[in-house]
Parts: sequence; C-alpha cells; structure tokens
Amino acid sequence: MSSSRRSRQASSSSRINDDQITDLISKLRQSIPEIRQNRRSNTVSASKVLQETCNYIRNLNKEADDLSDRLSQLLETIDPNSPQAAIIRSLINE
Amino acid sequence: MASANKPINTDVPEKDVFALHFLQSLSNLRRQNTFNSPEKTNDRVKKIKKVAYVSMARAAGGTNRLWSRALLRRAAKENNKVVRFPRRKKRVTCLRRRRSNRRDPVEEEEAERLRNLVPGGGGMEISKLMEETAHYIKCLSMQVKVMQCLVDGLAPK
Repeated sequence: MSSSRRSRQASSSSRINDDQITDLISKLRQSIPEIRQNRRSNTVSASKVLQETCNYIRNLNKEADDLSDRLSQLLETIDPNSPQAAIIRSLINE
Repeated sequence: MASANKPINTDVPEKDVFALHFLQSLSNLRRQNTFNSPEKTNDRVKKIKKVAYVSMARAAGGTNRLWSRALLRRAAKENNKVVRFPRRKKRVTCLRRRRSNRRDPVEEEEAERLRNLVPGGGGMEISKLMEETAHYIKCLSMQVKVMQCLVDGLAPK
C-alpha cells in the first residue's frame, strides 16, 4: 500500500483510488487464512494489512469530522441569494 | 469452508446516490428552527456529522449490510426510536456457522481494533468482518468525496 500517495493536506481531494481499494480488499481476503494458519509466526503482513485498514478508517472518520466542521461554517454564512445556494436548492429539488 | 471461495460483492452505488441522500438530509436539518442559531455551533457540527453517516448508511447499505444496520440502529437509539429491520433470509445459516467457529485468541487480538472501528463489528465472524470492512471503507470514501465536493462548491470564490 503506497501510503505516500495519501495527501497530508486536510482540504485535498485526493483519496485512495479504486485500484488501491481493490488491492486492499484482496489483501484483506488473503489475510484471513493467513491469520488462521500462522498462529505465532509470520503474521506480520496480515497484521500490517489490518493496521493499515484501521488507520485508513480513522483517517476517513477524521476527514468526515473536518468536513462536517467546514460545512457547518459554510451553511451558517450562506447567503440565500448567492449562486451557490441556488445550485444546492436545485440539486435538492430534483 | 465453502464460503471462503464465494466471490465477495463489495459494489457501492454511484456517487450521486450518496450525494442525493446527504443533500436531502441536510435540507431537512436546515428546516429545523434551532439549526441556524449561531450559538449552537457544536450541536450543528455534530448533527451534520451524524446526518452524513446515516445518509451514507441509507444510500449504500440500507438493511442489506451488517454495518449499515448497526449504524442505523445506533442512530435511532440516540433519538430514542425503535428500528425494526426485515428478517434477513440467511439467518439460519449464520447461526449454524457461528456455533462451529470458536474465536481464536491470536486472530482476535489483531481484529479487535478493526471490530471497534466498523459499526456492528463486534458480532461478526472474521471473514464477514473483512467483507463488511471493505464495503464500509468504500462507502466512507465515497461519502467523504461527496462532502468535499459540497464544501468546494459552497466555498466563496
């Protein structure tokens, strides 16, 4: 997993793309028998996958937090006559 | 175990399904009188976040996914509502499987953190947990993308 591709900026829109997610999923599936068979030894890769998964979920939760915060600010100050509000309104009414 | 070879379906709906659910819930929120008062910022943030997760669960999982059922159940509990889900077809097979799968302490140690992060994870058998996790991650990324687009769209130029 190339975690270096994950952007550090809070407002960046680059996320893990579909290929990486597919990769992660297949690794998750592969790690199941590995966890089962290799009791003590060689669970490094499986636990690494689990760890990356946990970190990724935590990051997503954090991003959701930050974005909720920003949305709260933006929604508070939104001018009902602005073009942005019109866009939102039209999207919702569709 | 035959189920290990079954292809796992982790398809998620398109982004606009998430967007629509989220926007509808947001507009319902805004109609509440207390929503726009400037003093209650923390409440507003919490409500938005909760709406994000609930609308994601509805958009993506509905009642077909364990994580979305757990999420919706938890949210309903917070509102003091009772949620009833239709019975899932595979109920008997699940029970039978659970009895024959005693939990291994070593793999449990590693899966524990994951169980805490995925809604409903505590009750799942490990391979189910992996499948639910994969789907959950995909949905969560989609939801975050939608929120980012909304923020970008609303931000003053």
